[in-house]
Amino acid sequence: MSLNATQDYNLLIEFVHKHLDFHDAEIHSILEMHGIKIGVDCHARPLPNQPSVFRRPFMILSFSWSSIGRQFSVSDNDEKKENVINLVSSLSRCTLIRSVIELWGAGQTIEDCVQSIQSGNSMRRYREGKYLGSDAKKYEERTWKIHVHTLGSTYTREEQTKMRSHLAFLDFPGKVQMKNPDVEFIFIREVDLDEQGGAVYPRHSGVNKDIIPENDARPSLACYFGRVLGISSLGRNWRGSNRLEQYSLKKRVYLGPTSMDSELSLIMTNLALIKKGSFAFDPFVGTGSILLTAALRGAYAFGTDIDLRVLRGRSQNENIAANFKQYGLPPPELVRSDNAIYHRHYRDHLPLFDAIVTDPPYGIRAGARKSGPRKDGEVRPVLDEHRYDHVAQTRPYSVSDVMADLLNVAASTLKMGGRLVYVIPSMLDFDENEDLPRHECLRLVSVCYQPLQTELGRRTVTMEKNKEYDEKKRFLYSENTWVNGTESAEKVANIRERLLEAAKKKPDYAEKAAIRKQKRKATKDAKKKAKREATAKEVEGTGQSKCP
Amino acid sequence: MRLLTHNFLKSNVKGTENGYPLNIEVTTIRCEDSPVDKEFVLNMLPKINYPALRTAVQQMSPYCDPPLPELPEELHAVSSSSKDKEEEGNNQKYNNLDESVIANLHRVLFDVYLVEGWLVCPDTGRKFPVKECIPNMILHEDEI
Repeated sequence: MSLNATQDYNLLIEFVHKHLDFHDAEIHSILEMHGIKIGVDCHARPLPNQPSVFRRPFMILSFSWSSIGRQFSVSDNDEKKENVINLVSSLSRCTLIRSVIELWGAGQTIEDCVQSIQSGNSMRRYREGKYLGSDAKKYEERTWKIHVHTLGSTYTREEQTKMRSHLAFLDFPGKVQMKNPDVEFIFIREVDLDEQGGAVYPRHSGVNKDIIPENDARPSLACYFGRVLGISSLGRNWRGSNRLEQYSLKKRVYLGPTSMDSELSLIMTNLALIKKGSFAFDPFVGTGSILLTAALRGAYAFGTDIDLRVLRGRSQNENIAANFKQYGLPPPELVRSDNAIYHRHYRDHLPLFDAIVTDPPYGIRAGARKSGPRKDGEVRPVLDEHRYDHVAQTRPYSVSDVMADLLNVAASTLKMGGRLVYVIPSMLDFDENEDLPRHECLRLVSVCYQPLQTELGRRTVTMEKNKEYDEKKRFLYSENTWVNGTESAEKVANIRERLLEAAKKKPDYAEKAAIRKQKRKATKDAKKKAKREATAKEVEGTGQSKCP
Repeated sequence: MRLLTHNFLKSNVKGTENGYPLNIEVTTIRCEDSPVDKEFVLNMLPKINYPALRTAVQQMSPYCDPPLPELPEELHAVSSSSKDKEEEGNNQKYNNLDESVIANLHRVLFDVYLVEGWLVCPDTGRKFPVKECIPNMILHEDEI
């Protein structure tokens, strides 16, 4: 691999071991937001030991070293020049990135890695002080340390020291300082990780923590060495602490059963290229969790929903606006309207939105409703004097229509190049190539799969508008939404019911259901008893009977 | 509801010929200052129906203290010279606007909220309620 090429400045990106399917899509989107195209402005290099069986949480990006300092920077030094993109601060916006490292060497074993460092230019450039910040000390005065990061396995201090000894040839003159050194280096030992981030061949056996000799003797998958440039702005460092906490749903004032978890919301806003000054729209805003995240990224937020109760919230202090206030954001614009007839609520205008991010309602139970009479047939006119107290009837809104309308609204209201990002639940029978809804004006950018349960997963779909919308073709667009007809739509509709059906078929379902029923009854009875006793005490106290 | 949103809302009750722009009946208004975002304002201007905005400001102004700034009768656009820079041309069209005009536009678009009131269809008189800043535009089953 060309890590030794004197032309290249290499970055090693380490991802968190979650949402594996999203890594590529998110980093591509973030770089694109800063005008950087992988394959053009930089290149992805193969990791040592590719291809491997298991997904790996690393990526190597190569930049021509002459572009560092001119087009891109990795420190604050070159920021005075115009149009220089700071790679570290740009990349730190990725939710899924753990750290960004200036890669000095890589190889399968530590010896290979050492050789790679010695035949490269990084040591020399570091000595010369290239790529360091404006406050960089002289080479001899820089304090430093080497952090040893062993994926999926723990090593004792002595073992780590032994690893560090291979790097003794670096011979840095400055003092070693464990806490807050001027420069932090990192040595990474990579092994195969499974879906959950645990080692496929663990070094220690579970209970006794004895070493398993066959696993211990296995060679590493790869070894990397480099200088740490930055840790994600969310503080996802390798010690596991996580500044994502402040966005956590647990702290929100107003939540509902379908509030989107903050991590997925952040990723969605990245996929949608939302940045400061973007105009973001959520047509199924619900409790506003996705919209809130867009606003946190600096977007102007517009949300609509047909459900007035969820828009208004539980009270003046527990509603969408309250959530925004909690984060010091100006209130979002909210309208109660029906996305099925978007073009009848809003006047014709030039494309308006930079991004549409949403979690549409799937299925009747999830609350998918649209305006119209509850039942087909003659509609009774509403008398004038009742007009303002009348509760509008709504009717079921099928999934196939939900998606067809969403894509039409996106195609007509997004600016060219604007993005639609939505979430769609799917079971194992869903085929990405066949079952996703389509639109002539929208191209598919990415589909990222997130497993939820054994049979159930969630897909985050990103589409981009690349063709002007023709109002006259509205019905044609709707007809062509589903390649397999509404069969595809049925695969995502009413998943809760389908899961329940599948569970009922399992052999011990009846037994477990009976036990659950018993437990529920017991809890109910206990509550009744407690209530009776409390009332009895009150009666004793006041000397009056509360029961009529 | 801010006036930016009002600029796009219309009534399309069955049988309506022209349900735009909606007239505003004010019950309660709130003002909240925000920093002027010149770029966003210039971004929005090509899409805004300016006469409708002026009318809306006139309908809301009596209830504001201090009263809303007066907007010029017309916004003067510079005709863009190069045709292939159409996207930028949309912004540059208004680039020569005075800073104070932009600040006023920002104020009326973003800083004024109709908290309680009604949006009235100019054609049929149908009133859409606005409560807690949220307009309720849902059509009843006999209006679809």
